[in-house]
Amino acid sequence: MFKFVSGFCAAAADTPNMERHCTSVTRTPLNSVRVQRRSKSKSYRQSIRSCLGAASRLVLTPALTARRLNTSRKAPKSLDITEKVNPEQLSLLVKKEWQLSYVTPLYQFRHTQLKSYSRQLSAFIAAEKQRGLAVEVEGTHGSFRVSFGVVQGMSEADDDAETVLVQIYSKPLFAVKDEPPRAVWSGWLTCINGSPDYLRSLPKDFTCMPLFCSSGADGLTSLVKSWFQLTFDCCFGPLEISHTSLQWLVALWTNCHTESAIKHLKMMWTVPAASPLKVTYTVNGPDAWQLWSSVRKERHDGSNKEEEEEEDSIDIEEVMRFMQDLKSHFYRHFRTDLSAGSLDQVATALGSAKSSGRIKIANSKYMITTLTLLTECALLKMPI
Amino acid sequence: MGESVKTLLQRLVRRIPSEVLKTTLDKWGRLTAQQQRALDLTQPKWTLMENLWAICEENEWTLKRITELEMIYVIENPDQGMWYAYQLLDPEDDAHCVELIQFKELFRYHLRELVRHVSVKVKKHTDEAVWIRIAWGDSFSRPNHLKPTYVVHYLQTPYVFVTSLTSKHRPLLSQALVLSTRYQTLKDANLSGRKLTAIRDLLMRQYQQVFPTKCPSPLAEKNHPALKKEQDGNAANRRRMATEAFGDGTLPQLQTAVYKLETKFKDPTNRTMSDREEPFRCVVKFSSTNLLESLRDCASSGFASTPVTPLLSSISLKGKNYFVVTDNDPGALSQTRRPQN
Repeated sequence: MFKFVSGFCAAAADTPNMERHCTSVTRTPLNSVRVQRRSKSKSYRQSIRSCLGAASRLVLTPALTARRLNTSRKAPKSLDITEKVNPEQLSLLVKKEWQLSYVTPLYQFRHTQLKSYSRQLSAFIAAEKQRGLAVEVEGTHGSFRVSFGVVQGMSEADDDAETVLVQIYSKPLFAVKDEPPRAVWSGWLTCINGSPDYLRSLPKDFTCMPLFCSSGADGLTSLVKSWFQLTFDCCFGPLEISHTSLQWLVALWTNCHTESAIKHLKMMWTVPAASPLKVTYTVNGPDAWQLWSSVRKERHDGSNKEEEEEEDSIDIEEVMRFMQDLKSHFYRHFRTDLSAGSLDQVATALGSAKSSGRIKIANSKYMITTLTLLTECALLKMPI
Repeated sequence: MGESVKTLLQRLVRRIPSEVLKTTLDKWGRLTAQQQRALDLTQPKWTLMENLWAICEENEWTLKRITELEMIYVIENPDQGMWYAYQLLDPEDDAHCVELIQFKELFRYHLRELVRHVSVKVKKHTDEAVWIRIAWGDSFSRPNHLKPTYVVHYLQTPYVFVTSLTSKHRPLLSQALVLSTRYQTLKDANLSGRKLTAIRDLLMRQYQQVFPTKCPSPLAEKNHPALKKEQDGNAANRRRMATEAFGDGTLPQLQTAVYKLETKFKDPTNRTMSDREEPFRCVVKFSSTNLLESLRDCASSGFASTPVTPLLSSISLKGKNYFVVTDNDPGALSQTRRPQN
């Protein structure tokens, strides 16, 4: 059977070389972003050291060093998240396409200091503008106002930090009276059902919200990231959605069909050729569901376990079988093996995901499952 | 009247790129030598427009003149917009005798019978193609020259290519064509694309086709005799089959092919799906800047197994790029299972 091992095993830090590693890290930050040394440089070095100190403790927790995407996860149940989360805030997160990044744990981030952060980030953007870093947003004056907020109630797990939403408003050139201000840029940091072992292993002053979603001008995104890096000694990096994760989304979304019709399952592959060939394979919703449930049925008929819990969890083998069946149907007609190409995009009525790291959640009911998967992907990218 | 002339002229000037505008105006030949010299085509479009409008008033150009200019532009630059191919079926005995003048007169006559206000312009182009520009009106309004339909018909062939036709006008055009060409019906040829030249070449077989032969292909002989002879033989075989399926040399530039699959899901190891009566409905769309070349490439390199499946080779062989596939289609499905990874 096919088992997927992804990510990388964290190099078990050898304790004798600890100090040497420590200094080298401070000189060459993780993804070659120049982190400016502030006057509190001592605390920065201390923070990294304590991180690596944590890493040495991590050697003792095997669950984390053998790092790969979960091979089994709970089947998504429709969750009326609007009961727990402010619907207005939720509407800001759904039906919009987000660019994904991962971010390392934030040092001394306080959910109680959000107002201060808003002021600081506004000032930072203004200062960068003065320095000549122009971030022009069409139709606006160019002066920005930042607002930090908490989206409460999104996460169920105790170890998860509350989601933080950042919005940047700008004065429009032609202001309409009484029109509510629209954000020109938004971003949010979140951690949904993050691995409790990892979260608990972090030193006290670190807040882990590894998934960062942004939407808006690239210039503003860079500024926001720079500010976070300077203020909280963290690092950002691009989060692509791997082939396996896309296949998980295919299965998880199709699984929801009985509760919320997926309408269709659309997958886009690119097959290499002199002029690249794009294949868009769209399966009718009910037919995709029938195939998926037949795959699940075969699996559960074969197994001996009869506990109801088994019905609730989905294994990677089922996901792989489902994808294989879809590709077989394609092969029977076109004699082309889609495995030779690369899966770029998947979409259903519930949302869409692109391998380049873009996600759109169309239906808030299954948001948590999708974000759990993405949080896992982001955590896999953590350097320690 | 003046307003509509100005609007049409404005639209044209905006639409035609400056480089092309000169040649188009020259071909049109309605400017005097002096006016031609005076017109500076390096100027910004809005200045050009003002100058042209002045000339237009000076020469007293009518709407008819401006539509001439538009038609010249479209004929010289046909690879824009979306073209759809149609085929005339069931010819009457004298269908093959229909020649240009008869067709022109009959077409104009029948269309005017069907639509009270319509403006029709018919022009024969050099390559035996008859170009028709139709501005549609109705019982109450004058023809709308801003949204014309263009039709290209190759006399003595059953092929017709159309762009910018609304579903409302399709039956009217269909009727007029059928009556003037002496056929019984006009049907959708299931072929569409952005380049008229490409779909025309494909449908009318104006590209380098390769026919299967039993003789050893010259490609195999060119191979280096030593070492990887067998592998080269396989590669040569694949290339040969790829060119047989799609054609040789430069291929017509199609952008997409769409297959609507309504076949059953067949997998002997999956009982649930095998017992199912309904088809497994899905739509597969292939797209590329040059689809036929990409497919030929895939077949040569082995991504697509050879011999090429009839579904893909039908694009070239039948000149279609929209297919509905059911279980009844012979040769639609391969007997072999996909190789396990």
